[in-house]
Amino acid sequence: MNVIETHGLTKHYNKGKIKALTNVSLTVPQGQIFSLLGPNGAGKTTLIKLLLTIVFPTSGSAKLLGKDISDYTSHFKLGYLAENHRFPEFLTARQVLYYYGKMSGVEKAKLDVKIPQLLELVNLGDWGDTKIRKFSKGMLQRMGIAQALTNDPELLFLDEPTDGIDPVGRREIRDLLQELRNQGKTIFLNSHLLSEVERISDSVAILKHGELIRQGTVEDFISIKKQYLLQIAEGNETLKNICKTNEIPLISQNGHFIVSVHDDAHLNHLIDRLREKEIVIQGITPRKISLEDFFIDVIEEKAEVV
Amino acid sequence: MDRIWAIIELTFRESLAKRTFMAFLGISTLVCLLFIFALNLDIVDGMESYISIFGQEVNERIYLDELVYNIEAGIAAVLFTAGIFMALFATSSLIPSFLDKGSIDLMISKPLSRFQILMGRYLGAVAIVAFNIFYLVIFSWLILSIKTGIWNFGFLLSGVMIVLAFAILFALMTFLGIIVRSGPFSLMITYLVIFISPWLIQRDVIYALLSSKFYGYMLDGLYHFLPKMAELGEITTYLVQGNSVPSWLPLWTSVIFGIIMLTASNIIFNRKNF
Repeated sequence: MNVIETHGLTKHYNKGKIKALTNVSLTVPQGQIFSLLGPNGAGKTTLIKLLLTIVFPTSGSAKLLGKDISDYTSHFKLGYLAENHRFPEFLTARQVLYYYGKMSGVEKAKLDVKIPQLLELVNLGDWGDTKIRKFSKGMLQRMGIAQALTNDPELLFLDEPTDGIDPVGRREIRDLLQELRNQGKTIFLNSHLLSEVERISDSVAILKHGELIRQGTVEDFISIKKQYLLQIAEGNETLKNICKTNEIPLISQNGHFIVSVHDDAHLNHLIDRLREKEIVIQGITPRKISLEDFFIDVIEEKAEVV
Repeated sequence: MDRIWAIIELTFRESLAKRTFMAFLGISTLVCLLFIFALNLDIVDGMESYISIFGQEVNERIYLDELVYNIEAGIAAVLFTAGIFMALFATSSLIPSFLDKGSIDLMISKPLSRFQILMGRYLGAVAIVAFNIFYLVIFSWLILSIKTGIWNFGFLLSGVMIVLAFAILFALMTFLGIIVRSGPFSLMITYLVIFISPWLIQRDVIYALLSSKFYGYMLDGLYHFLPKMAELGEITTYLVQGNSVPSWLPLWTSVIFGIIMLTASNIIFNRKNF
C-alpha cells in the first residue's frame, strides 16, 4: 500500500513567476524510510507543506494514507517535525508534549503514560519540568521529534530532523528512525546530511528547481551497473592478460581491481577464465559510489536524468 | 472538542504568561480588598445611618441602593473603557504570533480544520479576558452585595456586555491580524474604531459642517457598519443601574459586525498559504 501518492503536484507563486514545485508525481510505500533530497530552494519543504495543506497546490492532487490531502482526518495518523519549528517558550517540555498531543487527538490518560516515555526516548527525561526557553537548539530539535511522536503516527514527516544535533545525537535519531521503520511506520525525510540518508533510507527522490529528477532505491543509485570490485590473492599479471585478451577494461585501485563488463554472462566468462588459470578469487562485489557523489552528479547533470 | 479545547487552553496560558493580565488580576484583587476593608456601613431601615470609606465618615445621607449602584456603575465604566483598552493591548499579538512560520505549520499538521484552529485561538483570547472581567465583577459584586444586602444582578450583566464588546473588537483585530500579520497595526485600527464611535453618534452635527452629501452617506455607512462602542457603554450603564434599555439595536448591529469579521477572517485564513 502506498501511504503517499502525488499526481502532477504543482505550486507556483506570483501567477507562475515563482515555480516552487512543478508536476511532481511520486509514491511512497508503507514501512519505508523515504528521503527527499535537493539543493536549497529545490522545493523539498514546499512538497511537505503541500502534503500537509500548509500551502495549497496550484494544480495536481495527492493522497495521504489513502485520503485526499484536503481531508484533515488523515492527520490523526501522522506526525510532523517542521523545519525551524517554534513552540511557546513559556511552556515546559512536558506541557509542550501535553498540548500538542491533545491537539493530535490523544487522550489525557494516554498522554500521562506516553510523555515520560517520549522524553526518555529523546534524552530529555531530566528536563521535563524545564521551560523550553532554556533549551539549546539540539534540545529543541529533540523536543520536536518527541512532539511528532505523541500520537504514535503511522506516517512521520521530518524536515531536517538532525539539524543542530551533535554526532552522538544524530546516531540516536538514526537508530530511532530505523526502530520506527521496523515497527511498520513510514518516514518521509528531508535532509541535507546525505551520509545519514544513505545509511537509513530505503528509497530516495531528488528534486531540482522544483522538478522531480530522480526516484528510486538507494541501492539503485549508489551501485554502478556493470562495474565490479575484484579482489584476488595473487596473479595480477595473469588477470591483466585475461582482461586484455577479453577486452575487459581494468583499473587498479587501492589493492583492488575494478572490471567493467557488458553483462552477467561477460562477468561469468571472466571468472571462468580466472579459475582456469587457478587464480584464487577473494571477492567480487558490485562497485558503489557514495550517495553524496551520486547526488552531486545528478545536480550537476553528469548523471542520466529520468 | 478536546483538540479545540487544547488550543483554547494554550492561548489562555499564553495570555496569562504576559504580565498585563497578571497586573490586571492584581489590580482587581486590590480593588476587591479595598471594598472589604475600606467600606463600612451601618444600615437602618434601608438607609445607612453611618457610612465610612477608608475610616472617614460620610455625612450626607444617601440611599444605600443608590450608593451600591453608583459604585458598580463606576466599576463597569472603568472596565468598559480602561479594561477593554488593556485587554486589546494584551491580546493584540495573539493572532500574528500564532501565524508565525514554525508555529502555524505545526497547528495545521494536527487533525484540526483551519476553522477550528482559528476559532480555538479566538475563543482562547476571549476566555482569558472573560476570566479577568468576571473575576473583578463577581468578586466585587459578592462583597458589595453581602455587605449591603443589595443584590444587583444588572452588574453581572454588565460583565457579559463588556466581554461581548471585547469579543466584537477582537473579531476585528483577528481579521486585521490575519491580513497584515501585525499586532500594533491591528491595535491602532481597533483603537481608532473605538475613538470614532462617539463621534459617529453625533454625525448630525458633523453633517452641518460638510459640503458634500457623499461624506454624509459615508458617515452613515460607517455608523451602521462599525461596532457602536459608545452606545454599548450606555447599555452597560442602563443594565447596572437597573434602568430599561431604550434600544438593543446597537448591540445587535455590533454583534453582526463581529460575526462578519469572524466569517471574513475564516474565509481568508482557509485560503492562506503559510
